[in-house]
Amino acid sequence: MNVAGPSRRGVAYGIDLLIRVLIFVALWFVAALAGVDIDFEAVSTGVQLVVLFTLEWGYYILFESLWNGQTPGKRAMSLRTVKEGGYPLTLFDVVLRNLLRGADWLPAFNVVGLVVMAFDSRFRRLGDLVAGTMVVSESGRSIGAALTIAPPLSAAELEVVPASARLSGAEMDALESFLRRVGTLNPVREHELAQMVAPMFAERLGVRHADPVRFLAALFVRAGGHVVAPPTPPRRGSRTQQATIATHDWRPS
Amino acid sequence: MKAPGSQRVSQDAFVAARRAHWQQLDQLLLQNKALHRLHPDLIATVGRLYRMVCADVMRARGAGYGQDIVAHLDLLAARAHNRLYRATPYRISRLWALVAREFPRTLRESWRFLAAASALFVLPLLVGVVACLTDPDLATAVVPRGQLEMLAEAYAEGFGGGRSESVDASMTGFYVYNNVGISFRVFATGIFFGLGSVFFLVSNGISIGATLGYVISAGAGRSIVTFIMGHGAFELTAIVISGAAGLRMGYALVRTEGLTRLGSLRRQGPAVARLAVGAAIMLGIAAFIEGFWSPSGVADEIKWATAAGLWLLVMAYFVFAGRGEEGAP
Repeated sequence: MNVAGPSRRGVAYGIDLLIRVLIFVALWFVAALAGVDIDFEAVSTGVQLVVLFTLEWGYYILFESLWNGQTPGKRAMSLRTVKEGGYPLTLFDVVLRNLLRGADWLPAFNVVGLVVMAFDSRFRRLGDLVAGTMVVSESGRSIGAALTIAPPLSAAELEVVPASARLSGAEMDALESFLRRVGTLNPVREHELAQMVAPMFAERLGVRHADPVRFLAALFVRAGGHVVAPPTPPRRGSRTQQATIATHDWRPS
Repeated sequence: MKAPGSQRVSQDAFVAARRAHWQQLDQLLLQNKALHRLHPDLIATVGRLYRMVCADVMRARGAGYGQDIVAHLDLLAARAHNRLYRATPYRISRLWALVAREFPRTLRESWRFLAAASALFVLPLLVGVVACLTDPDLATAVVPRGQLEMLAEAYAEGFGGGRSESVDASMTGFYVYNNVGISFRVFATGIFFGLGSVFFLVSNGISIGATLGYVISAGAGRSIVTFIMGHGAFELTAIVISGAAGLRMGYALVRTEGLTRLGSLRRQGPAVARLAVGAAIMLGIAAFIEGFWSPSGVADEIKWATAAGLWLLVMAYFVFAGRGEEGAP
């Protein structure tokens, strides 16, 4: 499971805060109108108290218990609160972690909570620590989008790497992460990053390489990185000379 | 065992073979409908698919397949898990067990913390009252003068003659909101080794006492005491209980009995949670009384009798509820 960081949780917090404010404003108008019309002060006072009480302390407890660890803000950000082992929350967990917002908020604007999160490996705030909970991310549906190398690797580029090249799982993961970022980074930076590891691989395989980024892409392919023929023929060049790195479109859309 | 690099073909085969199952599970989870409302066959299907995906995650990891596949399966398994194993619905019987037995038992078991919290709250309160009865101006040291005067004026008017809506509604709202917030804060700040609880108990005791003393010396004593006593049975006690829960939490951090601080805290977690939930329920009741009953125009004598009844009820509940029954607290 992916533990969610402060920024996404912050956005979720903001969304929830906005919803709470809107609910209060809406109900306040209703209560004020009713109070004026009915002229029965105890009712409007009572309504206001219950609304304030509920919004301030009940909102999170209500939603996190009814929606299995989610609030509207968390749902919008695809976050969920779970027990540390991934189990669902009990009512006590929900109450504990949300009452401790009082401590996390101090001295103002969740400062304590943020500091505690910064020092914790799983971004747990005080409430999470006491209740034994954490907030995980359930999003990531964009992972698995086609991994493309542009322009496609030529046969010559692939030939540089011996077919017997073998990498460890961690190395393959690292290469894949890097190749997925190619194109989103500054080209100079890409080159720089690739240059950090490319000589190491080249030395191990006993080969020479030109462009480190292309070399790493070729290495990934030759070492068994997930390669399939593109679903439609590439626009330029012939298929015999080019290989495109792409993942299956196996993800449910 | 095959080397990681030799999986090139089998990853395709793997994905091709399993893909339909993954999609089916994803679709079922996307329905975003409580699982128990689905057709029984579908529920069984989700369970079956979930176990398949768990196995697939392991296979994908072990075989060193692409990160994206592992990540996707991981997430799919996690989503299915969270849907399948959601906490049991909160049964009324569970809450009833808390109210009828567990909460009062835990209270009696944590009597040391309760005693400490009571002392930390009540003594400053009495000091505040006495001090401000002798010299009302002292109250301005802890509560803004404007607020004190507004309160004294409001209580001097009493509740029989109908209060002016706009002033009172917002004012009472503010105080309830404030008091409930105080109570929760008293609890929450116990995480700072109990120091927060101590601070908030003492400071709130003083300011409540000072306000009381000021208003009484301004001649509206009868009115404010009448107002406070009704919901006070729940609210003042709930503040003390919250404080006790906070102190217990802080004490667990200080006296770890060989555990790590976090472990020690976790061990006290259930008891602390019971106290906090119990106090929260009491505050809910207090809010209703304060909203509907305390400011109403009912005759003072009836309010006194009710208040006395409520205090007796609460005390009897603390002392006697949940006794004589076997079973875990």
